[in-house]
Amino acid sequence: MSIVISQQKKPFIRFDPQKCSFCKTCELACAKYHYGKYGASISRITIVRRGMKTLKYFICTRCEKKFCINACPKKALSYINGNIVVNEELCDSCGKCVEACPFHGIKLHPETKKPIICDTCNGEFQCIKSCPKNALTLVWLSG
Amino acid sequence: MKYFGYKGKILMINLTTKKTSILEITDEFARKYLGGNGFSARLLFDMIDPRIDAFDPTNVISIMTGPFQGTYMPTSGKYHVASKSPLTNGFFDSISGGYMGAEIKYAGYDGILITGRAEKPTYIFIDDDKIEFRSAERLWGRLTSETQEMIKEEIGDPTISVSAIGPAGENLVRYACIITEYRAAGRGGLGAVMGSKRLKAIAVRGSGTNEVADPEGLENWLKWYNEESKKVPGISSVLPTYGTPSLVSSINNIFGAMGTRNHQTEYFEGWEGLCGETLKKKYWDKDTACPACPIACSKIFSVKEGKWKGAISEGPDYETIYSFGSMCGISDVGAVIKADNLCDEYGMDTISCGVTISFLMECYEKGLIDKNFTGGIELKFGNDDAMVDLVEKTAKRIGIGDLIAEGSLRAARIIGKGSERFAIQVKGLEIPGHSARALRGMALGYAVASRGGSHHDPRPTGEYAGASDRKAVEGKAAWVIGTMQFTTIGDSMIICHFLERLLGFTLNPKHAEMINIVTGFNYKFEELVEVAERILDLERAFNVRTGIRRKDDTLPRRFLEEPIPEGPSKGMYTDEQTLNKMLDDFYTLKGWDKRTGIPTKEKLIKIGLEDVAKELEKL
Repeated sequence: MSIVISQQKKPFIRFDPQKCSFCKTCELACAKYHYGKYGASISRITIVRRGMKTLKYFICTRCEKKFCINACPKKALSYINGNIVVNEELCDSCGKCVEACPFHGIKLHPETKKPIICDTCNGEFQCIKSCPKNALTLVWLSG
Repeated sequence: MKYFGYKGKILMINLTTKKTSILEITDEFARKYLGGNGFSARLLFDMIDPRIDAFDPTNVISIMTGPFQGTYMPTSGKYHVASKSPLTNGFFDSISGGYMGAEIKYAGYDGILITGRAEKPTYIFIDDDKIEFRSAERLWGRLTSETQEMIKEEIGDPTISVSAIGPAGENLVRYACIITEYRAAGRGGLGAVMGSKRLKAIAVRGSGTNEVADPEGLENWLKWYNEESKKVPGISSVLPTYGTPSLVSSINNIFGAMGTRNHQTEYFEGWEGLCGETLKKKYWDKDTACPACPIACSKIFSVKEGKWKGAISEGPDYETIYSFGSMCGISDVGAVIKADNLCDEYGMDTISCGVTISFLMECYEKGLIDKNFTGGIELKFGNDDAMVDLVEKTAKRIGIGDLIAEGSLRAARIIGKGSERFAIQVKGLEIPGHSARALRGMALGYAVASRGGSHHDPRPTGEYAGASDRKAVEGKAAWVIGTMQFTTIGDSMIICHFLERLLGFTLNPKHAEMINIVTGFNYKFEELVEVAERILDLERAFNVRTGIRRKDDTLPRRFLEEPIPEGPSKGMYTDEQTLNKMLDDFYTLKGWDKRTGIPTKEKLIKIGLEDVAKELEKL
């Protein structure tokens, strides 16, 4: 599967909380794809089980308001082809984007201290592919 | 460290002095003891004075990971806890699901060793290399789910992992457990050891990572896993759909091996109310899984109508359906769901609790105890109100609950009148729902296991599957040794034992392959067998120092003298003579002294435990 993301449509990862078994395989797959190792802190998707039956999940929603881009004092973030892209040269790791995102879709990498944000794994969507319960599906929203 | 899957550090915490330090793990140590169970067996042998009471402040709780934790290896979402048990007085370890294992690894440790006793209720927050001792006074008395939530709120981070005890652990119930999310380090009273240290919980946040030696190898392994597991109905369809309650109909109806009314029989006429199909149809809400597990055998069940309407639990699993269901003569699974949830919330082992209640029910029906003794409770089999009521009373040690909290062996010694013959326990640990009479391997396995009546030392699965003839005596010792080598290695690299259906029931080269992919050890199979033997014999050596000998490697008299009275396994049991023959075979193959059951000096030297041999010589 290789997807060219157009300006008009944006990918949205939809979660079925009934199907999700809280196994966090998506987190592991995300970390592995981007860094070749495993860790919750380097996963761009975050699953938090709340109580017995519910969960919250956090990932970039590619929202209308682009809170992160507006919050960045260094203009290091931009929206290109459906993804928030970080210019690591400009970024000074201030963390304003992390604070600004109401979806908790941004983390700072624990070592590089640069923002890490869902980039669809170049259209490969490792989180969706790896889910043993098919709890994640890809939908296209008009951009 | 040159090997992968390790951080090379174990965090040591003394609750008395509030001091912490780091124990370095060398390459050689990792290769020799692997992780989890292996690390604990070695470290606790060295650290614990075997003569102490389990509640002595110098007892040590060992919380360990294996090299697999925090990786993508299927079913590795687990962690290991060990200590000297207040139930068996011996070495005891328990594996729990939950993200704690990965979180400890990500925080930069292979494990945590906790000793001492806090002055006041305390919880520990481990935030990478920052360790805080925090007050747990407002948490004391709280249920396990509340405790986890309150700690997450106090820290202000819902992503941290918390392992907590409930009121049962605080009240030193001898089989109190440690709960993470809704999973339990269930057996042997490790939660009571935490309670004795006034340690309410451990919270961990890790910002680090874990890596494997051969990423491409792991990719190939996953491909193999995905393909091959499809051919294994147990892990591709039965466990995902029904969970472990699926075992009820086969164990009860095909094998006639489901302990009923305290093992007076092993066929439960009320099985239909308890079986997997009923639970799925009428009670199922959703599937849950341990981290990194594609199987998701765990189910959330809730009661939609009737007497127990409103009860909800993650579980019950098969063992709980046995202990609170068939053992207590109860066919309304609603009561079992209620009891299961109470045990999770109060932090108590469902097997020991249910089996001890079932033991008292038999005492009551036989007239060995009366209503004065039970505090007015009509303690007959099938009384589900009494059963549920007693779960709560046990956790709080109220009335007869105070006796139930001691476990069946201690209760039998207090009641006397010959009741010990039907206390369903080995070395103090209550026997789970896999028959010692219908499965010959379990008869021997329970007798020799270092934990006592545990189905995670020897495994019943291969005998159910017919991989070993369940009636055979010849060759059984070798089979049992093979399954025990598998479980101990499984608990050291730390994967779920349910993979036995895919990987094989006994230790085999496939296990070495997995370990090599993650660690880079390049183990040959023979070396892995030696690691398994080293760990198993260290556990035995620990127990030998507490006084365990061949005479203790036995079964309840009921199992040695009374055949199963009805059903598909009618007439089956293992008499003392047969058990003795299997024990002789077992000790001979193990290299343990046949008269005493102590590992011989030659055996210990052969597996690199010369220092342990010297310790045992001092006895």
